[in-house]
Amino acid sequence: MTFFAKFCIPFIIGETVLFTVLAIKYFTWLRDLPKKDWKLIITNFFSLRSISALGEVISESLLHRRIFKVNPRLGYMHMSLAFGWFLLIFVGFLETIAYLGLRWIPLQGHVFFKYFVPLNGISDHIPAFDFTMDLLLLFVLSGVAMAWFKRIRSRALGMKKTTKHTFFDRIALSALWFIFPLRLIAESVTTSMYGGGSFLTGSIGNALSNILSINTLTHIYEPAWWLYSLALGTFFIAMPFSRYMHIFTEIPLIFLRHYKLQPEAKEKSYDNFEVEACSRCGICIDPCQLQSQLGINDVQSVYFLRDRRYNMLQQKIANNCLMCGRCEQICPVGINLNTLRLNSRSSMRNIPHEGRYNYLRGVDKSFGAGKVGYFAGCMTLLTPNTLNAMRSIFEAAHEQVWWADKDGGVCCGRPLMLSGEVDSAQKMIDYNKSLFAKHQISTLVTSCPICLKVFREEYQLEGIEILHHSEYILRLIKQGRLKIGYQHDATFTYHDPCELGRGSGIYNEPRAVIEAVGKLLEPTHNRKNALCCGSSVANTAISDAQQLTIATKVASELEATGAQAIVTACPLCKKAITRGTQQRVVDLSEIVAQNIKQ
Amino acid sequence: MINFGFSINRPRTIDIDRNNLRKSNEIIREMPELQACIGCGSCTATCTAGNLTEFNFRKVHTLVRRGEYQGAYEEMNKCMLCGKCRLVCPRGINTRGIVMLIKRKLGDF
Repeated sequence: MTFFAKFCIPFIIGETVLFTVLAIKYFTWLRDLPKKDWKLIITNFFSLRSISALGEVISESLLHRRIFKVNPRLGYMHMSLAFGWFLLIFVGFLETIAYLGLRWIPLQGHVFFKYFVPLNGISDHIPAFDFTMDLLLLFVLSGVAMAWFKRIRSRALGMKKTTKHTFFDRIALSALWFIFPLRLIAESVTTSMYGGGSFLTGSIGNALSNILSINTLTHIYEPAWWLYSLALGTFFIAMPFSRYMHIFTEIPLIFLRHYKLQPEAKEKSYDNFEVEACSRCGICIDPCQLQSQLGINDVQSVYFLRDRRYNMLQQKIANNCLMCGRCEQICPVGINLNTLRLNSRSSMRNIPHEGRYNYLRGVDKSFGAGKVGYFAGCMTLLTPNTLNAMRSIFEAAHEQVWWADKDGGVCCGRPLMLSGEVDSAQKMIDYNKSLFAKHQISTLVTSCPICLKVFREEYQLEGIEILHHSEYILRLIKQGRLKIGYQHDATFTYHDPCELGRGSGIYNEPRAVIEAVGKLLEPTHNRKNALCCGSSVANTAISDAQQLTIATKVASELEATGAQAIVTACPLCKKAITRGTQQRVVDLSEIVAQNIKQ
Repeated sequence: MINFGFSINRPRTIDIDRNNLRKSNEIIREMPELQACIGCGSCTATCTAGNLTEFNFRKVHTLVRRGEYQGAYEEMNKCMLCGKCRLVCPRGINTRGIVMLIKRKLGDF
């Protein structure tokens, strides 16, 4: 049995490079995983998690279900390439077994099976295999055709902007696009000389043998297979260094994610799996408001991950992000884009300064008592209407409240964390934690979603329930402690703050509160797809004018609902949107306070 | 001495010709909007850190622009980056960006 021909050399070189680089990458990444992560892998490996991970590998790595949700045509394109190619390999494997029995055959024997068939004296074809393989090839070719078409008109596949690719990505991309047409040609030429094939390769083979003389066919026979092998070899060599590394990285990533591994505030080895699992599909570009509203084209998650992967990340790229989470929400690979950007910021500029914030010792002049602590937050202190509204709500509900930061408290620490200074932020966290412990509160209410997120995720306040004021007000209403007069002619629209909605998963409570006061009209982008007001504390790069541009766009969408007032639940969003509109912008607590029934 | 509830700065001169303005120029080149500051002091009045300490953003960035870098990094480190100053600034200066820039230029990183 012969399974070698000279044209196989590019393919063999390609596969060797590919598998060697993959082995080295996986080995180093896994070796460098922290002990804690290894423990998670070991304990979860023999559990149902592995099976559910396998399910996700099939639905995401092969079928690309999440891309179908973004756009069905885009989903089909990705699926036909991934699932189609997988089936070609799988059915091709079954085909060699059917012809030659179950035994070891070198990889090129499987890949170039059609070439080796006549060499190994097989003349009886199994038509079912010929048909299936042709059908699958057609399936993949349809995807390649769509990919070509997407270059010309990406909007047809639901994408306004596509990724700007690097030089090496373009090489890999071109090689990938040529693999399947070249395979079609090579197999068609073979069938024209040796028979076999079905509706696709068989028909083209027949046509070729009619047009060309047998002499010409013998001359193009070997070169056709050479070209196919060269395309495969080029692709395999480029693959581990290009975007196509995602094909192999996404699979271990899905397993590790099911074993509860996740990125943290500081960079670690697991991040490599997430960074290299990015396929640079560019789906994150369109939702980015810095792109759509400000025309900034080089900071989106796809470019951030690319720059980080190739060690060319610049601070101005890492810092220019609103962290609104719109890209993270739509990412088909489910990469934790915000966390990765944060830990990049952290490793770029987090210099712990021993003496920093030592002044926090001894600034505590807090007084008062109450089971419920109210932490207004820095931004709320700048929106006194919210503060006054909360006061009248507390009074109406006869709540004993301890005002945590009425006369100037200490920042919650999240703005500092968002700019990458995780260690320094810990000093504020410690200060506020001891403050809460000192006053023995059982419930902590805050009006600022930025504070809420850090209280819930970083503070570890055992025994203290942490509520956003929207949740707290809704609870008061449900318990009957707060009576609200419903206004039949009042209409409101609601702007979902990023940190409250996508950040903390609170969508329904503010809506329920608004509906207790008047009629709620939803804007075009709401809930998970809500827009960012543009003033996010996570961004220290864009200018005031740029913030205003975003705010105006967002406000105009909210105005378009025709509501009498724009309601939001974040003091920062309120400040930002107010600048962008003539319309009345209010905090949730204000409309409640105005309509309390005594 | 009688405590009047306020104090007066000791008299001193800033000699811009003598001061090394290299860092100051770098800072202004990177964020020219800092020159739009009218010195109203709103940033300092709302400042969370300023409420607890002597930290004075307006003073520090003004001194830095004049080439007086002594102690500026340490002072800037008091900032909590909460961003209230940015919201109140009538000139729309990206104050948080300025704090980070000054620290980057004057600190050890």
